[in-house]
Amino acid sequence: MLKKILELLFIIMIFNVNAAMVKAAALPILSGVGGEFTAVDSNGNTIEFNSYAGNVVVLAFGYTSCADICPFTLGYLKQLYNKLSSEEQQKVRILFVTVDPEYDTPEHLKAFLGHFNEDFIGISGSKEQTDYIVSLYQAEYNQLSAIGIPTQNIRRVQPKLFEDETEAENDTATLFSHSVSIYLVDKDGFTRSVEYTGTPKDEFSEKIKQLINE
Amino acid sequence: MMKKFNSSLIFFIAMFFSISSYADIEFENFRIILAPAVAKSTAAYGVIKNIGVEAETLIDIRSDAAMVMLHKTEIDSGMAQMIHMPNIVIEAGSELVLEPMSFHLMLSGLSAELFKQGQYISIIFEFEKAGEIKVEIPVQAPWD
Repeated sequence: MLKKILELLFIIMIFNVNAAMVKAAALPILSGVGGEFTAVDSNGNTIEFNSYAGNVVVLAFGYTSCADICPFTLGYLKQLYNKLSSEEQQKVRILFVTVDPEYDTPEHLKAFLGHFNEDFIGISGSKEQTDYIVSLYQAEYNQLSAIGIPTQNIRRVQPKLFEDETEAENDTATLFSHSVSIYLVDKDGFTRSVEYTGTPKDEFSEKIKQLINE
Repeated sequence: MMKKFNSSLIFFIAMFFSISSYADIEFENFRIILAPAVAKSTAAYGVIKNIGVEAETLIDIRSDAAMVMLHKTEIDSGMAQMIHMPNIVIEAGSELVLEPMSFHLMLSGLSAELFKQGQYISIIFEFEKAGEIKVEIPVQAPWD
């Protein structure tokens, strides 16, 4: 009986030590992931990444013609952002970096992201700028179709939906594969954690709060 | 009496929209994700059940409101890509689960005025044996 009690106490002690370790877990700097870049935000302004210094940044890659994972990721980020108080939200910037800057203009990104949260910031720029940001974060993307599929060809099966043939002629929908990681960057611009949509939102929001309070 | 009749009617209509059944194929919990107004595409999720004793092949999916394809998101080494999954076979007594970051219907060439919260979009699923099945799928905003 005494042996069983001692075993139980030992298990409880180990569990408590582990829990304490998790709670106090530091978020080490992930060297070689992230860094300074120049791009264009969804207001059309040229920005340097260090212009977000002093704020915790949550950064994800995607594109607006993506039907599944990008809206799902943005929905996840919306719910994550809503876990923060309004004071905390003011110290956080959610960046969505498009891998399709040709289609995702700043205006288009602003309208798309506004569906999820008006505070979310779209990041676009030239292809060279995009490639550089992707390389900084050790991310990847690839165009799945070599040539954009004109959406007029898609719509041709429903001609009644055409409203502006001129616009449709120049309209293409291109599919990409891309990294699904979500990067957590501290107030000094250092990447401190790489998450994904499977991370419990409470766990992720605690990490954000930890970086806000550093 | 009339009140009871109305309640029953509402119940049966609700059942019709949440579970559509035709022969050996059942559709459960289908919904189309409300996309941003400027979006050209969105996804639909749900479960297709084959309750029959023979395998079924989904040979076509179509709609007057959008181009529809069955895609699967595959994640390999942190990279996501979409793969077109034509003529998928659903074995007897099994189900095809469409959910985020996995199988999904990709709807492209959207008409924004049709895809609004609470509206229903007709999608026709054509199976090798069961033939055409029209399913009315609601547009929903799951992130709110």
